[in-house]
Amino acid sequence: MRTSAIAIAAATLASTAGAQDLVQAQNEWFIAGQGTVEEMLALQSNTGTARNVILFVADGNDVSTNYATRIFAGQQAGGLGDDHVLPHETFPHTALVKTYTTNGQTPDSAPTAAAMNTGVKMKNDVINVHPDVAVDDCQAAVEGRLTTLAEIASAMGKSVGIVSTARLTHATPAAVYGYTANRDWEDNTFIPEGCNQPDLAAQLVAQMNAGVIDMALGGGRAHFLPADVTDEEGDPGLRTDGRNLVEEVIAAGGQYAWNDETFMALAAPGNAPVLALFEASHMEYAHDRTGEPTQAEMTAAAIEALDRNENGYYLMSEGGRVDHANHAGNVHRTVTDGVAFAEAVQTAMDLTDPAETLIIVTADHGHAIALNGYCGRGTPITGLCMDVDPAGEEHTGEPVLANDGKPFSVVGYLNGAGSVMIEQADGSFFGTRPNVTQEQATDPDYLQQALIPMGSETHSGADVAAFARGPWAHLVGGVIEQNVIFHVMLHAMTGGEGIPAAALGALNVNAPAAGSGDPVADDAAPAAEEGAAEDQVGDDAQDAAEELPDDATAEPLEEAADEATAAEGADTATGGEAGSAQPADGATEPTQGDAEAGEEAGDGATGN
Amino acid sequence: MDRRRFLVLLPAFLLVSQAASAQEEDGTIRLRDLYNKDTSFSDLALASEGQRIIVNGFMAPPLKAESTFFVLTKMPTAVCPFCEPGQTWPDDILPVYTRRIVDPIPFNVPMRTSGILELGEYVDPETGFFSALRLVEATYERG
Repeated sequence: MRTSAIAIAAATLASTAGAQDLVQAQNEWFIAGQGTVEEMLALQSNTGTARNVILFVADGNDVSTNYATRIFAGQQAGGLGDDHVLPHETFPHTALVKTYTTNGQTPDSAPTAAAMNTGVKMKNDVINVHPDVAVDDCQAAVEGRLTTLAEIASAMGKSVGIVSTARLTHATPAAVYGYTANRDWEDNTFIPEGCNQPDLAAQLVAQMNAGVIDMALGGGRAHFLPADVTDEEGDPGLRTDGRNLVEEVIAAGGQYAWNDETFMALAAPGNAPVLALFEASHMEYAHDRTGEPTQAEMTAAAIEALDRNENGYYLMSEGGRVDHANHAGNVHRTVTDGVAFAEAVQTAMDLTDPAETLIIVTADHGHAIALNGYCGRGTPITGLCMDVDPAGEEHTGEPVLANDGKPFSVVGYLNGAGSVMIEQADGSFFGTRPNVTQEQATDPDYLQQALIPMGSETHSGADVAAFARGPWAHLVGGVIEQNVIFHVMLHAMTGGEGIPAAALGALNVNAPAAGSGDPVADDAAPAAEEGAAEDQVGDDAQDAAEELPDDATAEPLEEAADEATAAEGADTATGGEAGSAQPADGATEPTQGDAEAGEEAGDGATGN
Repeated sequence: MDRRRFLVLLPAFLLVSQAASAQEEDGTIRLRDLYNKDTSFSDLALASEGQRIIVNGFMAPPLKAESTFFVLTKMPTAVCPFCEPGQTWPDDILPVYTRRIVDPIPFNVPMRTSGILELGEYVDPETGFFSALRLVEATYERG
């Protein structure tokens, strides 16, 4: 037996030593692979407390889209593309993320963003409400609102910022500050009669006035302005309640910008909030942009402003239009916005210290995008698939032909506006693939061919990736549920110690008394004791909430922190576990401890 | 040609040259070439005012039936901004007033529209649709 052990040890030693003797040992790929392993062996887990947390979300930027952007960026830099490395791809920790929702195999951006901001999965089309809340159920949403990471960060004394190239009232940014029974309730005109849930634009301004949100940069101006007001670019507002939310922010001491010049003129914000609305709707695609800042510029401005807070910050920066370009079936704008997103990530990397800042780069969901083959290296990613050169490295320059004798683009879509199935005069759909030239395929306005005819290409339920660096980034690994991202950020933000008692007391953990018959409230009763003990203005706050209900109930925060501590792959905070997160019992004080402000703003007050 | 005369003619030459380069081989114009990036009128648009031009694009879903009006877009636009909440028109569209009642073409079928280019603000008295430029007396075909 002992002899066998010695033999095994000798064999192991021999195999280890022998790696350098392999015939490929001097090959550049071999050496590079060894170097990567050495870097991985040298990795040290950062278990410090994250002063800052930055969540980057490229909407709809699934693994295939990220791949296309990588190739495009590499080719724009003069290379073949494949070996290019996007900024977030240098991060040491990566996971695959399962994006399904409680009722959707295919998710939309509302519950996916909400999962990352509350730690809980919920139904499609809703934001930051209990998983039982059905779409359009206003009252249930008001009663079942969840506490957000932004509110926790604010209660911990941190600043909070939002950057988005979409409307600030769109799903992903809205999940940072608001809640809703329907993601479309972006201004008051969409709120059903009798529903006392504030619209999302009003919620953002309320959260800014309450001190939860310090900076919000993006699009969506029309949702903040009355219908009888024309904005700086000649577009009318949409609100019919007479409120001019931009003026309300300014009147409260905040700053406002609407183009690149006013953006550059913003003063150091101090304690006043900053609202920037660069378009009536979404900001321009990167390909079309003029007169407004890039995502990188907005991200830099946000970091520089928020970093003035010695307690740090939580920033969510979204590349919102990667998704829209995919919906349009237009790869050129998909990858050019993908590059703009990557540049924003690089900017954040340059402006932060990984020792104290957790950065997570991810997407909210996938798309029905697909990659064809077999294409040779260097094939322009927006163009036709060029043949592999059997004897060389770069493609032959000859397009690969399908069985119909026609070329095809590298990227295609399973459905969408680029469908080759065209509606006929009798309403039926029929078609053959057009014979596309390389000039046509690489035109910025070209829609890649799709199969199923649909006006807008759809999301898919396939996994997305998450890349992480900084404190507790090593918790991002394996295949995880999307809501785990919240728990990683919370764990990092609190250093694994749980939410500080002082912060917990400042949070809304408010709900009807136990035994009220409200299953949402009753399930959570035990978690309310701590919050209720510090309640000074519960009754007043509830009264205010009945008029302008805009704040919420909370999940059992200590449990959430405990779950994050135990975050080990898919076992942590699964949809089922997260479903147990319930609003707590008892009334508490407003978010910022200012009942008056809460009443005026419709925020900070709680109740049901 | 002396140098002074060359310099005087240069801007006009460049204008014509740019206009020619924006045209396809078949003499058609891409819709996007009527606009600068900031959505102001391009030199091509300014040079084409009052002339009959042929523009490539796509027909957005008609605003209403039995109309002599449709919106030409540079890329297929399936959504109807008048019908769906939160939807807005792209900045670079081309309203088209036709000679005959419009026979709709699917939103994603390439088409060519021939019409006289008008510049200047105009509000359609029937639909309230605002346009800064448009084609009038228009005809169209797939292709």
